[in-house]
Amino acid sequence: MSLSVGPEPRNISSPTAGVREAVRIRALSKSFGATQALDQVDFTVAVGEIHAVVGENGAGKSTLIRILSGIHQADSGSIEVAGQTVQFSSPRAAIASGIVTIPQELRMVPALSIAENLMLGSLPMRRRFGMVPGIDRSRMNAEAREQLAHLNLDVDVRKPIRALSFAEQQLVAIAKALRRQCSVFILDEPTAALESREIDRLFSVLARMKAAGTAIIYISHRLDEIVSLADRCTVLRDGRVVTVSERGQFSIGDLIEAMTGRAATHEDSAARPHGPELLAEQTAQTPISLRAGQTLGIAGLLGSGADLKVRGLFGAGPEPATVRRADGVTVRLGQPGDAIAQGIGLVPGTRSLGLVMNQSVRDNILLPNLFQIGSVFRIDRSRADALVDEMMDLMDIRPRRPEVRVGSLSGGNQQKVILAKWLARRVSILLLDEPTHGIDIAAKMHVHALIRRFTHQGGGVLVSSSDLGELARLCDSVLAMRERQIVGRVERADGMNEARLRAALERTR
Amino acid sequence: MASSSVSSRLLGQIPLVTLLVLCAATALMTDRFLSPVNLNNILVQSSIMAVIAIGMTFVIIGGGFDLSVGSTAALAGCVSAMVMLEAGIGAGVVAGVLVGALVGLVNGLVIAYLRVNPFITTLGTMVLVRGVVFLITGGAPVEGDDGLPSAFVGFGSARILGLHALVWVPIVLLVVLSWVMHATPFGRHIYATGGGREAAYLSGVPVARITASTYVICGALAGVAGVMLAARLQSGQPTAGEFYELTAIAAVVLGGAALHGGEGTLYKSVIGVFIMIVLGNSLNLLNVDSYWQRVAIGVVIIAAAAADSLRSKR
Repeated sequence: MSLSVGPEPRNISSPTAGVREAVRIRALSKSFGATQALDQVDFTVAVGEIHAVVGENGAGKSTLIRILSGIHQADSGSIEVAGQTVQFSSPRAAIASGIVTIPQELRMVPALSIAENLMLGSLPMRRRFGMVPGIDRSRMNAEAREQLAHLNLDVDVRKPIRALSFAEQQLVAIAKALRRQCSVFILDEPTAALESREIDRLFSVLARMKAAGTAIIYISHRLDEIVSLADRCTVLRDGRVVTVSERGQFSIGDLIEAMTGRAATHEDSAARPHGPELLAEQTAQTPISLRAGQTLGIAGLLGSGADLKVRGLFGAGPEPATVRRADGVTVRLGQPGDAIAQGIGLVPGTRSLGLVMNQSVRDNILLPNLFQIGSVFRIDRSRADALVDEMMDLMDIRPRRPEVRVGSLSGGNQQKVILAKWLARRVSILLLDEPTHGIDIAAKMHVHALIRRFTHQGGGVLVSSSDLGELARLCDSVLAMRERQIVGRVERADGMNEARLRAALERTR
Repeated sequence: MASSSVSSRLLGQIPLVTLLVLCAATALMTDRFLSPVNLNNILVQSSIMAVIAIGMTFVIIGGGFDLSVGSTAALAGCVSAMVMLEAGIGAGVVAGVLVGALVGLVNGLVIAYLRVNPFITTLGTMVLVRGVVFLITGGAPVEGDDGLPSAFVGFGSARILGLHALVWVPIVLLVVLSWVMHATPFGRHIYATGGGREAAYLSGVPVARITASTYVICGALAGVAGVMLAARLQSGQPTAGEFYELTAIAAVVLGGAALHGGEGTLYKSVIGVFIMIVLGNSLNLLNVDSYWQRVAIGVVIIAAAAADSLRSKR
């Protein structure tokens, strides 16, 4: 076993010397039905290069990755790996060519040990008594320990994988990829769930892989990371390559402009006086109070409990919540139906929890509103149609076709449908968990504008997010949450920005 | 987009096309198929199974599964016959339907509130209920000394507007329950619960109550089927209804309902029932060995499930 972090650069020098391209894609096209996901895309990654790919949702990033990792097959165009033309009929074929993808959601087997997960697919075997084949556990554990040591991860590899944090599991996935001697490494949104020091650790691993000659394709929505990390950046829009720029030649603003096709603008919410208290939590150790017109944020990374706090206030936590309403009456929220009856709506962090994916946009918008537009015995069709039309216009949901399955919409439009459900219900309080996670910039701006309009009209918003920039732009005050405790509070009046929030979050109690 | 909606609409009609092709092919191969006696026979056989399949469709759209319907039908038939002999036809019919609903309620409570797997729960009640049937009947048919009341037995063979009386039961149920499914909040809640239980819960749908109620409906309809069976067999038969659950599930799948829940249409499940019954009937008419009939029906069930899986991949 070689001790270098990256793979040996195998067959990388092509016959035409000097072309140190790990992957070259020419005129790649792919359509799904009438949707042209990729249109004549050219793309190259050099050996030892970190090449970022950015674009809004639906721009074609996922399709590109999926073709490169053998999940989809291109309609036309060619892929060369190390100078050889290849065609991947399956993910296995892509891995055999040295292309390994670390997906956003790691596919680990929770019950197996760290070592087993790392070595799965090529477990070292030995024959007991000369005949019965079995796993050579001591060799497996030793190899796994050695692999992880390269990444400075010192853990007991016999422990189940679920004992590790997400960031550590991600390193295990990377170690697994390195063991396969990959020459091209694709990371899809790798930092979405990481703390800043974990991001630093990941970046140092990537730097070492790069130095060892691995080509890295890096997909992220976090443009600041890309500006500091990437050697080159390709911007996709509507399935086409818009620009390819070298390090130092692009800024975050340039990228946004290229992605959206228009100049970037950020509107900050100005502080406004708040109305009466809409909701005051009665039970929790650190109760939350929300006023009309207020946007209150909870900053916390994955596992901080910020999402549970939001769910809990919706009556969907393990314990019922007790809250005081605007009129001073105390009510118990034991299940979501109770909270909805009090005029509270929840936008969950995972969109599949906010929408019934196999149902239409219409059915989803109507779901919490069925009794409002009819009776127990009858749904009033014409009122239902009018409500759905009103909401689809208000939210600018595209396509404007209520019968379309909500699962076929883009992430941004799905998020708008979830908001539409609650606005149709005329709720006075919106609880939002990661409202713009994984949606493109235009949709993000739109969601932010809708949140602002909601508070301008006297609604109260509680939003939890791991995107501190988003909270800094959106909120009047932000609570910092760590290990299920509120550890700090930042007010807009005292000056709010991402750095202050990060400091509040990482301050030890 | 337009082409995909046309193709999905065509795919939606596969059950009906299959049924028509099956009928046409059988009619060409044997002239006995279109004889009034045979057609009548198919309608009556289908009517009892259709009532069970409609109930099963509720459960499957709600994301569940019910293996106990055959045993429940037998229990309902026997209880109905016993009560009828003591207290008259009306009380007997009501008792049969209620006992079916009660079995459904037990299934529903265990599955929705104790969160036991529906397959295991209803496998349990399937065996348990069959045991109860044998316990209360001693294994003998329930027909009293002079048989069941003649008005009840007469219903099993009477005709209304030229159609067999039993055939009207699923027709009425289908009209009423299709409306419930599509035009009431309760129906939309069933689709939402089966299509995304957690999402439905977070939209304020009382998912546990909805799940439980689908089993109550399924049990009650199995009860109705049991009473129909008693009218037809002129007795409560403790061994009746065996394998009905399998035929009903196969029919629902043939009708295009998704086994993972959230998708399905009541009338298409009834078409699925016709496919199963017509297939059995035509194999009989063509003198296919009964062992081979089983093989053929098994193949059809797997083919339907495979078609379901291929469709959901699109």
